[in-house]
Amino acid sequence: MFWCHPIGWRNRRLPQTQDVKMRSFLPAVAEQLFRDIQKTYQETSKIPDDLLIALKFVFGPCALQALDLVDHRSVTCLTSPSGRKAFQVKGASGRLYTCFVSCHYCPCPAFAYTVLRRDEGLLCKHILAIYLCQALGLTQQESVSDQHMSALLGGSAAVDT
Amino acid sequence: MSSRKRKKYSKDIKCVFFPDDVKSSVQNVGRETSALSSASSAKSWEKCGDSFLGTPVIKNRESLGRKPSVIRKLAPASASVRTSAANTNEDQLHIAWSSSDSEQSDNETEVQRVSRAVAPWQQCLQRPARPIQSYSRALRMLSSDKDDLPVIDTDSDFSESEEDAEQASEEQISDCESESSDEKPKFSTHKPTNVRELEVSGYVSDREGASGTLDCKSLASQTGEGSRRSVSDWVKFAQAMLQTPQKSLDRQIKTPKDSAKKKRKFQSGGLAERLNRLQCRQRSAVSFWRHQSIADPSATTSVDRPGVLVLEVLEVQEECGMQLVHCELHQLPAEGQAVSQESARVLVLFCRETAAQLIPAPRDIIHIYPPWQSLTIHGFSCDIILNTHFSQKVFSACKPASLSVARGLLSSGRRTPYYLGKGFELEACRTTDKVVLSTVPCSSGASTGHVSLLDAIEGLGQAGAVGQDVEVVVQRVYSIPVPDCSPVSVLKPRAPLRPFADPCRPAEKGKVRLCVLVQDGYGTFSVVQLHRLPCEDDLPQYCKMWQGKTCLLRGIKVVQRVTRERCTRLFSLIDSLWPPVVPLQDPANTSVTFSPYCCNKPSLDASQESRAAGPAPSFCYLLSGEETSVQPTEEPGLCPLYLPPAARTLQDVLQSEEKTCRWSFVATVLYKRMQRCDVGRGEVWLALTDPSLQEEHLERPCRRTVALCVCASCALTSSVLEALKSPAACRMSFRDAVKEHGVLLCVEQSVLEVCSVHPGDHLQSTSTAESLPQTLAEPRAQTLPQPVRLDPLSLDATPNSLCSLSGVIVGVDESTAYSWPACSHCGSENLEILAGSKNYYCAACKSAMDKPDTKMQLDVFLSCPTLSNCTLKVKLLQRTIASVLNTAVAVAPDGDEFPGYDVENVLGKEVGPLAAYVRVVTRKPALWIGLEEICL
Repeated sequence: MFWCHPIGWRNRRLPQTQDVKMRSFLPAVAEQLFRDIQKTYQETSKIPDDLLIALKFVFGPCALQALDLVDHRSVTCLTSPSGRKAFQVKGASGRLYTCFVSCHYCPCPAFAYTVLRRDEGLLCKHILAIYLCQALGLTQQESVSDQHMSALLGGSAAVDT
Repeated sequence: MSSRKRKKYSKDIKCVFFPDDVKSSVQNVGRETSALSSASSAKSWEKCGDSFLGTPVIKNRESLGRKPSVIRKLAPASASVRTSAANTNEDQLHIAWSSSDSEQSDNETEVQRVSRAVAPWQQCLQRPARPIQSYSRALRMLSSDKDDLPVIDTDSDFSESEEDAEQASEEQISDCESESSDEKPKFSTHKPTNVRELEVSGYVSDREGASGTLDCKSLASQTGEGSRRSVSDWVKFAQAMLQTPQKSLDRQIKTPKDSAKKKRKFQSGGLAERLNRLQCRQRSAVSFWRHQSIADPSATTSVDRPGVLVLEVLEVQEECGMQLVHCELHQLPAEGQAVSQESARVLVLFCRETAAQLIPAPRDIIHIYPPWQSLTIHGFSCDIILNTHFSQKVFSACKPASLSVARGLLSSGRRTPYYLGKGFELEACRTTDKVVLSTVPCSSGASTGHVSLLDAIEGLGQAGAVGQDVEVVVQRVYSIPVPDCSPVSVLKPRAPLRPFADPCRPAEKGKVRLCVLVQDGYGTFSVVQLHRLPCEDDLPQYCKMWQGKTCLLRGIKVVQRVTRERCTRLFSLIDSLWPPVVPLQDPANTSVTFSPYCCNKPSLDASQESRAAGPAPSFCYLLSGEETSVQPTEEPGLCPLYLPPAARTLQDVLQSEEKTCRWSFVATVLYKRMQRCDVGRGEVWLALTDPSLQEEHLERPCRRTVALCVCASCALTSSVLEALKSPAACRMSFRDAVKEHGVLLCVEQSVLEVCSVHPGDHLQSTSTAESLPQTLAEPRAQTLPQPVRLDPLSLDATPNSLCSLSGVIVGVDESTAYSWPACSHCGSENLEILAGSKNYYCAACKSAMDKPDTKMQLDVFLSCPTLSNCTLKVKLLQRTIASVLNTAVAVAPDGDEFPGYDVENVLGKEVGPLAAYVRVVTRKPALWIGLEEICL
């Protein structure tokens, strides 16, 4: 489908060419990789080498760091009685990063720089670690109070959990 | 503002170079590519009707399964190729116009400015802007080429592109914020945004260390190759240089170590550790591959190997730092079948590093060598190709060198950053989903092509066996002792130290493992550990069958990758086989008919296809296999790549200056000294000599005998063990003994064989004749003089050496002087006194005797006229003791009690010359040498 649109380089001086946007493929690739990992892990309790290598290829240096976080079981899923959920990832320095369930955001500097500012990465290592932990079923579960959850999501209690 | 001045300067230069010559070359390109494009689109039409069936490339079942839909899509798709190709031509012709038309370029920047005004995340940098950017870049290249100030130009380039980036994203990254905003209008009229450039420079400074070094290396080697490379290659290189700011290069060199120190602590057994290992392996494979492809860039690449993707680039887009390239898959016709061409679409992902090297542009032809991975995504009509590290551009759509730059830059489109407001769906994973990632290994099992060891090994991932035959030459065959129940650790076998082990080791079966050191036509070495030998004496037979022959490796598994540092001994053997005797093959240059071992190749071909050997390899693979894993090919005779062990005389060996090296020689074993009674379980020290050391007048000062240590790790055949156990001197061949720090050692890869003393004795010499070349019959092969000449004991005597000595007894070690009875029949010391009588009973030979032999031990201190200030303690042999004591018996009655000896009578006696073995040498506080008299 996608290659049927020659990206509008025919009329190069017309402003409307800007509206022709290319479709994003990388998120789909990432999604499929996660599904593959999940599937394989459910069946064999292992991640084969080629999936690891593929992860590395798609996510770059992030993959290694994220796997290290997975190894250390650094991802916790916080649940409050109200039913809200959020992820907390304990970084290598011990700092806690709160990430959201429904969208991609991480307060870490790498996310701000690599993903937001330069658009050079899909995810930061923390979000990647969340996906991997979810796929492998290695997410720690923890219940917090509604109050705490609201503080977390409000961004005021990120550090002192 | 100095920076401002610089920029201005470089722009002035650009103005100078603006006019005609450049323009005409642009037009040339336009014409040429139009021809090409029509050709290629015609080609794509041809391919439309072909089927998918003949493709061995993508192993992905899904893609095969969806074949009909793929074919259905081909028609519109290839139509679009045509139109897009035509568009490009129009574009290019247009550039030629706009380049000389200043008004137009102003218009261009208007468009740019408009686009900048759009919210940053919405901004879509499209193709129209590209031709001019690249054009100005081409100009800059030219100018920097001529004004000899490439560094300055690079600098200004860099800062400008940084500023542009800031303008584009409205985010200030560098510290020259205010300046750039001041200058903004000026810049935008003069020079459009150069997005591409920003990416490259950002990439260089941002990425992780280790890969940085790789790139460094490749750049460096590219410079070296300059004279051989085509102009377009040079421009690619120059471009990389110009885009890389000097300072970040410096940083780049530092980072790998830093990050290595900081980061490499992963949880053991964890995923990260595993990936790290995989990554290292992949990195070295990539660097090796790249090194080899750079070594001969002009070579046409081989596509006959299975798994090579031949792709024509249709469209390039950039996403999160990666390049996504829509490609048409050209299936190369299989050998002999010309018609089976077909095409399909794939989406290829290139990581930044690869993309920076390839600079993919529409209509380029790119080869991707396995291993690569294919990912099928639900709802996507084409497969995604991942892990494309081994990629090479074989055809650039635009020929003229200077403009390949321009073309490369215009090609990649950039889209909006992806939507962050929605997470990836994981929960949707149903159990019915198939895992759709598939890795294409280096080669498929059915292949007949000759691949290199490296390809075969790096390509298999880690899972299992190398499913492919690899043609190699067997350089050495040897055996190693198998330590108890741990076949993997055979590289450093420990001598099993079981005190009550059966001293008769040869009787224990299956205790040695057959090993071969193989080398492929590209120079890579591997050690293949094969089955346990049922009998050690089979080794010569395998030597005869395999050594020096071209063999196919089949069904092997990778055990370990070993490096020079980890396995110095093995590499001393490899070093002795380096450089290869015949030129090595270049992996980029294999063809179907090529046989790496074919020696009758025309010399012209050889010069094209071979490459210089370079430094000795720094790693090799440890493989495991069965007996059937090594299969000699039909080729008669020895492979030209085989480097047989060169036989030396001991004199050559002793006088060589090389620190560690492997030596092969035939020598007479004068004396053996076992650490333990069971030969083969511990070290055995041998004193060797050969005719070259026994000449009456040596050409150069040299020792008459040489000490050699047979380490426990050296497997010995039963005939060798037998010869070592017997007291008689024997002649042996030593293959690949190591000389380490002046000491000869027989280690893992060394092979000892017994030679017949008489050359006519066929029974013993057959195996030797096979394993060692005829040159071993050294010209100076005479018989040894009798008695053998020994060095007189000197101050620089070393332990485990032989010497002759004579002197005067100046002292007796009375504490260690004693005598004991021994059986007069068998010599056993295991005697019992029979109850009630004075007779002895020998438990060994079960006989009674009246008068047992008396054995004596006596250590004396000698004073040697040539050695002053030196204590010599000699343990004497029975017969010398007897002669010394003969006169010393104080009272010699026939009585029952042994009367004892008088020390005074012994002192002052002269002994010698004795043949002695040096046991201990202590140099501090004073020279003290412990010797043992021996019988030769």
